[in-house]
Amino acid sequence: MNRARVRSLALTAIVVVVVAAIAMALILVAGADPLVGLRGLVEGVSSSPYRVGELLVGAVPVAIVALTLVPALRAGVFSVGAEGQVVVGAIAATAATFGMRGALGDAAPAPAYWLVGAVAGALGGALFALLPAWLAARWGVNVILSTLLLNYVASGSLGWTLRTWLASPENTATPQSDALPAAAALPDLLPGTRAHVGVLLVVVAVVVFELWRRSRHATRVRVFAERPALARRLGATRTRTVLTTMLVSGAGAGVVGWMQVAGVNDRLLGSVSGGVGFSGLAVALLGGLLPVGIAAAAVFFSALAVGAVGMQSATGTVPSSIADVIKGVLLLGVAVVAATRPGLVAPAHAAAAPPPDDGALGADETAGALAASGEPVIAEEARA
Amino acid sequence: MSGELWISILVGALALAAPLVIAGIGEGFVERAGRLNLGIEGMMILGAFAGVYAASIAGPWAGLAAGAVVGVVLGAGVNALVYALRANEIVVGVAVTMLGLGLSTYLFQLWVPAGTTNVSVDTLGRVDLGPLSDLPVAGPVLFAQSPVVYAAAVLLVLMWALARLTRFGLQVRAVGSDPISAALRGVRPRAVGERALLLGGTLAGLAGATIAVGSIGAFTPGMTAGRGYIVLAIVIMGRMTPIGIALGALLFGFLQSFSLLAQSTAIQLPSEVYATLPYLVTLIVLVLTSRAALRRHAARLRTA
Repeated sequence: MNRARVRSLALTAIVVVVVAAIAMALILVAGADPLVGLRGLVEGVSSSPYRVGELLVGAVPVAIVALTLVPALRAGVFSVGAEGQVVVGAIAATAATFGMRGALGDAAPAPAYWLVGAVAGALGGALFALLPAWLAARWGVNVILSTLLLNYVASGSLGWTLRTWLASPENTATPQSDALPAAAALPDLLPGTRAHVGVLLVVVAVVVFELWRRSRHATRVRVFAERPALARRLGATRTRTVLTTMLVSGAGAGVVGWMQVAGVNDRLLGSVSGGVGFSGLAVALLGGLLPVGIAAAAVFFSALAVGAVGMQSATGTVPSSIADVIKGVLLLGVAVVAATRPGLVAPAHAAAAPPPDDGALGADETAGALAASGEPVIAEEARA
Repeated sequence: MSGELWISILVGALALAAPLVIAGIGEGFVERAGRLNLGIEGMMILGAFAGVYAASIAGPWAGLAAGAVVGVVLGAGVNALVYALRANEIVVGVAVTMLGLGLSTYLFQLWVPAGTTNVSVDTLGRVDLGPLSDLPVAGPVLFAQSPVVYAAAVLLVLMWALARLTRFGLQVRAVGSDPISAALRGVRPRAVGERALLLGGTLAGLAGATIAVGSIGAFTPGMTAGRGYIVLAIVIMGRMTPIGIALGALLFGFLQSFSLLAQSTAIQLPSEVYATLPYLVTLIVLVLTSRAALRRHAARLRTA
């Protein structure tokens, strides 16, 4: 074990201790017994099959958002737009499902509904991600800000949608759509819980991710983040990298939107995204941008949220928002640990702004010409 | 629309722009020094909570001070993480925002448990500048505002002077544009970056307290509603200059005020259009500024 590894492990241990200490301090500030709180947390997650199901209901969408965000993060494209892409995906999936019922009547088979819903969700999310990606590629518009602003546009569209063209004719307390046709709902995984077969999508996402990780595209993305100039000569232009990685994250978020509608709520609600987009970003970073870490981090985040509700009822005084505080502290800790492992998080400046030699002069074309001329030095760099 | 409504919209625009101006000029320094504070939203919401808490004990001015103190503490924390522990500035920023939103909600729920009535505190009230406030239009809009509006204007001038006329301002610009040559000339980039972030943090915390104590007089979880990110957008739009930032803040403040008040008028548009208008227009202006920046950059390359 080399020194860097030891330092990294030691820091991880310190971070865990600090997070535990802060959690304890927060419980004490609330005037409760930390042990009672801890027992409430554990019982909140494990005391009944329903609670275990809730654990999966929370973890699955976050894991999928996180997994599909990884290529973008690896490339240094720091999108915070998953929240809005989930919303647009959910709207598209709901509309497509009702459209299909309208076209085929009630005879349509369930798998056809799932396929149409998933594809519509993915398309909706992907299209909504392409706009900021295109703005970033074309004019160097900061992705963090454009995706963030578009989240508000998405939430406005959702509010309008639920009031007008997809509104339920029933008189309901909160705006919502009609219930989806029964065939469109995803089957339950565990009886008596809200957990649904969408968990299989995480498996699919992990497999696809592992295939991607071994592909040329993944290599180009890595090179792009570290040495944009070299990457251009390998064919990974800024435009192409930003568009493809954002497309993947948008499609993933859109599928999550469909999943929340078809799997959990059975109808489109105003709360469809429920912070999944931001949690996904945090979980991707927390999981070290790798599938195993992301799966673990997603389950952990969900356990915190579900368990905090148990803690609130066990102690009576500790607000369940303690989960959000711990998540924030944890992410700070990860930022510190990640610093000891270079390359974990791409330098975000790589794609956030156009590099000095890029821009309206058509650097992409220049790069293409350079690649065609095949300078020997560059070939050596690529091999190394 | 009636003239009175337009006057109310303009009055609201200045009040809504004030916190954005305050946080924005701070972030202008941060970005001039070559750094980025993505945690503004978290700093603002914690500043807002601290502001209301302190104001409930010792009055609105103590609330503003508490907000600034929270901001400087958070700024120091970010500095320690980024410089001493070499953490990624962007991840730290995202984490500070998560932490700020979570912690302010947690502490608020301890202070005001669910089911009890929210604590409300005295606001600063309006300053009436004598005969000036009787002027038509300009009177109510410019001369009978909350003190935070005047404070924002004064800060704007002070910060412009700090950036233009002092050694610190020069160092910030030198470090931001070329840290290596600045270091060769005896400026310490780390010290300058740290000071810039402390200043930015202080102003972000103050801005949060301004929202809570300046006009509303109460805290609600998530009350900053993304304004911290709007600040980042207007700093880019304003090309990091105090005047540009102030204009960006006024534009957003105007749109927000308009969307709040124009719904009650004859223009029949869905309320969601009004609600998203400020964000949509901010995005459009952001695109236009980015495009212009790229063009300028290209022109410079062509002449070089």
